[in-house]
Amino acid sequence: MDIASLIFIFLKFLILFGLGLYIVFAAVILRQEQLMANVLEESFEPVLRLAAFIHLAAAIAVFVLALLIL
Amino acid sequence: MPTVFDGRREKLSTPKQAKVERTIMTPLTSFAVSPDGIKFETQESEETVVLFLRQHLVVMLGPALLVALLAFAPVILFPFFYRYLTLPVSIPPSYIIVGTAFWYVVTFGFALMSFLRWFFNIYIVTDKRIVDIDFIHLLYKEFSEARLDRIQDISYKSSGIFSVFFDYGDAYVQTAGGDLPNIEFLAVPQPAKVVETISELLENVKPNV
Repeated sequence: MDIASLIFIFLKFLILFGLGLYIVFAAVILRQEQLMANVLEESFEPVLRLAAFIHLAAAIAVFVLALLIL
Repeated sequence: MPTVFDGRREKLSTPKQAKVERTIMTPLTSFAVSPDGIKFETQESEETVVLFLRQHLVVMLGPALLVALLAFAPVILFPFFYRYLTLPVSIPPSYIIVGTAFWYVVTFGFALMSFLRWFFNIYIVTDKRIVDIDFIHLLYKEFSEARLDRIQDISYKSSGIFSVFFDYGDAYVQTAGGDLPNIEFLAVPQPAKVVETISELLENVKPNV
């Protein structure tokens, strides 16, 4: 196994770790949005919740993509 | 164009006032008089929202430009850098695909966070008190309020070309007693009207104290 392969394996784990952390961040945004929606009730709130949910789903999708193709 | 101040109003009649101007809320409303469909966490049943404020939309200009820059970076800037960047190993296409996808997710996340911070950073004036709800960042929110009968002084400041051009500024509400926080309405639209509205409310409250 050459040095370039070792670097890419290390890089893959580093990227997966970073993407995992980002999923946690995206989940915190979704939770925070839910908490703030209790503070202020407004008709636009479901759209924001959907956007926060899409963000979390996209973060998970990138993690799965990295797991499969890297 | 986004709505900064929504001019659509309905004239309603209430027992106290002959005509009350009501602003119809949109997601981008930053100044609303007697808004419909707004309710906040600690609102009492007989409490009426008189003014609903967010920061002027012009404060979102910086984040919006940054989001636009981040969105176009992978297609414009990256090929330019990649051409002149010399690496000891070539980057496999799979890394470029994951990197680009992650870049757009982060850009979306940044845009969402910026909007949430603006959307939930609100100032509410009711017929009983002034409420300041700050969504500072992801894990920190601050809720402060001042009863109208505890308000001592109100003032506003509007300085700079942007402030004058877009008519926004900071309104300061000073409360009586050292234990109560002073409330600051930062970068709100029409600060003069905000101060005027609070003054009118105070005139109705003060004689009863």
